[in-house]
Amino acid sequence: MTNTTTPLLEARSLSVGRHGDAGILRVLDGLDLAVVGGALTDIVGPSGSGKTTLLLALARLLPGATGELLLRGEPAQRVEPRLWRTKVAYLPQRSSMFPGTVEDNLLLAWRLSVRSGLAVPDGGRLREVLDSVHLGDVALDRDASRLSEGQAARIALLRTVLTGPDVLLLDEPDAALDDESARQVGLLTRRFVDEGGAAVRVRHLRGDGHADRRMRLTGGRLVEESA
Amino acid sequence: MSATQLAGGVVAIGWPQLLLASGFVVVTGLLGVWMQLGVTKDLAVATVRTYVQLLLLGLVLRWAFAANKWWWVVGILTIMTVAAARIIIKRAPDAPSGLFLAAVTSMAVTGITVTFAVTGLVVGAEPWYSPRYVIPIAGMVLGNSMNGIALSLERVFADLDARADEIRALTALGATPWEAAHPSIRAALRAGLIPAINSMAAAGIVFIPGMMTGQVLAGADPLEATKYQIVVMLMVAAAEIIGAVLAVLMSYRRRFDVEGVYLDKGLRG
Repeated sequence: MTNTTTPLLEARSLSVGRHGDAGILRVLDGLDLAVVGGALTDIVGPSGSGKTTLLLALARLLPGATGELLLRGEPAQRVEPRLWRTKVAYLPQRSSMFPGTVEDNLLLAWRLSVRSGLAVPDGGRLREVLDSVHLGDVALDRDASRLSEGQAARIALLRTVLTGPDVLLLDEPDAALDDESARQVGLLTRRFVDEGGAAVRVRHLRGDGHADRRMRLTGGRLVEESA
Repeated sequence: MSATQLAGGVVAIGWPQLLLASGFVVVTGLLGVWMQLGVTKDLAVATVRTYVQLLLLGLVLRWAFAANKWWWVVGILTIMTVAAARIIIKRAPDAPSGLFLAAVTSMAVTGITVTFAVTGLVVGAEPWYSPRYVIPIAGMVLGNSMNGIALSLERVFADLDARADEIRALTALGATPWEAAHPSIRAALRAGLIPAINSMAAAGIVFIPGMMTGQVLAGADPLEATKYQIVVMLMVAAAEIIGAVLAVLMSYRRRFDVEGVYLDKGLRG
């Protein structure tokens, strides 16, 4: 494990309000979080406690969030939002496949202007990453709409990991998967972390043995639990 | 009172004949009551509006043709443009607020460009503001581009909402609002253009276009009326395309915040 002293991602006094029946509801209420390279953090809590909101706020995908966010010590205001999201990568719970082939999906990020000029992974590399999550039998030219849910979830995670983010934010990555797919998603996440990245997972399932840290979101703040 | 034969073989319609035409609407209204369609009141209001609005238009055109002043023509075009923009906003209820400027601008640019290209370059109207040519042609241009714009705007914002999860996933990968919205923009513009293309494909086979019908009834040579109709159909298609593209490009970004995040239903104030 390669823990570093400076957190890869840090949130200070992060707050998000929502309009509720009884006025403004503080979904996140001055929350603090620091994640370091080489660490996998699980966030747990009941439905509606703000777990997804937290991930969206960390990825700068939630308008109206207040507080301070830092990436490798750099304040968010100094990092262009699109660049931030390439470094702090959020993967939604419903990881949709886009129209096209498996290869189109894996290389989707390289069709975006934010990565123009960057080297595109070749076919060999794509085969290698597919093999790494036991999808060696999936052809790169297969229509992505014909993938099973478990295959699609693994490919969506690969699509994000391939872009080389610093931090992965995974929203219920294995909630609706079969055991084998869930196991592969867990292993891939662990490998990403072992190579120096940081990962934050929102989960409601019992521990899978990969997390280094487990935190409970309650009352808009995080409380440390044993991993 | 009977219909009157005018010069050029045109049969003028008298006021009793005009009222007689309402008889069919009355029959339709009675049918609606019998079948409990709940549209009788709307039909009555629409009929009255047709009489009032078109008769007023006739009077205004008669007066404008006689006045033959450029500023009256420009004034009438401005009123038509603003009215069309208001209708567009009403017909796209899911669109974000503040689209009036985009609607007016796209209508105005379309109206000015296409109308004066036709009256000046194709018809060769003299003077350039000749109300007899400019106002009716602008009416057709604006009317059709209004439909194209309204359809495209309604479609683009509905499609963006339907793709909200996909847009979020793309944004998370670093997509710009343009990159994330592009499939919806393309679908909306295609939807906006299909009526014009269908209309062009069916013209002369399935139906005789309205303008040509009017000209023939007014005594024009059918071939001359056809030439005008071709010009009108092509310019209407162009107007729909230009208007829809402008309106959609000027407005889609309003569904994203300054940091490029899509404002789905849960995030709108």
